[in-house]
Amino acid sequence: MSGKAFSDIEFGEDLPAFKPDTSLANVTKFAKAVGMMTGRFTDHEAARKQGLPGAIVPGIMSQAMLAALVHRWAQNATIEKIDTIFRAPVLVDQEHAISGVVTDMDEDEHRIEIDLTLENAAGETRVLGTATVRLP
Amino acid sequence: MEIDELKRDWLDQDFDEMEFEAKAEEIVDFATASGETAPRFVDPSHPDFQAPPTFVTRFHGRRLLPEEFPKLGLPLDAGKAVIQKRPIRAGSRLLGRSHLHDIYEKTGRSGRMVFLVSRMELYEDGQLASIVDSRMVIREKPTG
Amino acid sequence: MILDLHAHSIKSDDGRAKVENYCQWIRKKELPIDGFVLTEHRQFDFESDYGPLAKEFDLRILKGSEVETDYGHVLVFGVSQPLVDAFDFASIRLPLHQVLEETERHGAIAVPCHPGRTRVGMCAHAEERGLVPGVRIVEVYNGGSRGSEDAAAHDLAEKNGYLGTGGSDAHIVSHIGRCATRFPGPVDDEATLVEALRSGGFEAVTWKSTS
Repeated sequence: MSGKAFSDIEFGEDLPAFKPDTSLANVTKFAKAVGMMTGRFTDHEAARKQGLPGAIVPGIMSQAMLAALVHRWAQNATIEKIDTIFRAPVLVDQEHAISGVVTDMDEDEHRIEIDLTLENAAGETRVLGTATVRLP
Repeated sequence: MEIDELKRDWLDQDFDEMEFEAKAEEIVDFATASGETAPRFVDPSHPDFQAPPTFVTRFHGRRLLPEEFPKLGLPLDAGKAVIQKRPIRAGSRLLGRSHLHDIYEKTGRSGRMVFLVSRMELYEDGQLASIVDSRMVIREKPTG
Repeated sequence: MILDLHAHSIKSDDGRAKVENYCQWIRKKELPIDGFVLTEHRQFDFESDYGPLAKEFDLRILKGSEVETDYGHVLVFGVSQPLVDAFDFASIRLPLHQVLEETERHGAIAVPCHPGRTRVGMCAHAEERGLVPGVRIVEVYNGGSRGSEDAAAHDLAEKNGYLGTGGSDAHIVSHIGRCATRFPGPVDDEATLVEALRSGGFEAVTWKSTS
């Protein structure tokens, strides 16, 4: 919840995991902010009619939540790159967890690499990615 | 359609250009809904108020693919990469230019798939501010 | 000796892990594996020399490939230039029987991986079109597969008398070593890996937290 310096970081360090708010109300708020007010994101019934198990979290919201993990851990972190792979749908109104871990450290550039994953309650990875982050 | 043919005909040609504006209210809603807590992303009165790095993914061009691109099937969102070159501030006006950056094929859980990487470069005052790579996957239509 | 037989580095289009970081991770997290095999998608990496890293971290870093066939994805161990010349590793339409025949002919070995996954694994294809003669080993633990998919792989192996391997299918650093294969003796290079796989006596192991 505060700023961090590169020297504070250790290879293999876990970022504190958080449970993202995947409630229908919050996903609808996000969808509205990004101009993606379609049933597959904001209406379980409409999503089911499209063959989905229920409303799903937009991919860009999952990615934004992964980025949020980094800033929640180090508020002063600058994400230079975040690369996200959407492996399976993230279902609205279901519990998920986001976690991250430091997997590379460039001492010269004060850059670190972080593995990021978003898992459902069954422990299945739905979204994964990596972030390149610079710290002072 | 052969991948080499698609690459030859469609890679690295701008197919869309559009202007966008980053609005403070949308930045705050985007940030708070995605779980950001850092004041520089959620408090418009913060002296360093800016959009979270992936905010630029909310900018959509007029089209996902070049107008005449072969209709291989329905493109699905397989992933996104964002490279941030400089912060996007409230009120920033951005020019987004899109081109197809990569095309490749592989097999996955959904069968044979064609991957298209559409790259949007966002410029502010002529300076590159962000790059968004949208990886789309098209499942091959069954034959026979 | 325990080796993770299925890992991807940044040499693969969807790999995001540097090999050095895999090594650091294994040592930092004290993972109970002695090394791993890089099985890059649709290619064999002749160029990279991981010898210095292997020495620095005291790990076996071997190379193989993951090719794509009409029965799903297949790991190939013991890749040589003549084998690469025998069929197109980059193709996503290889007939499995051809991969099995050519690997056999060139002293290599082919192991269908994540067979329980739909389309990219051989279970569903085998149900639809029958088994392909020549398969002796399949991957029964895959770090990226769901519990039900691993279970289907086990069933396939049991029903048909296949031996089973394990591999993480890691694409990011922190996924290395989730599954692996325990060998009764040392495996120091690609040739001894092929020998160890041919002689049997190995077992698949997993450290996945969910089933």
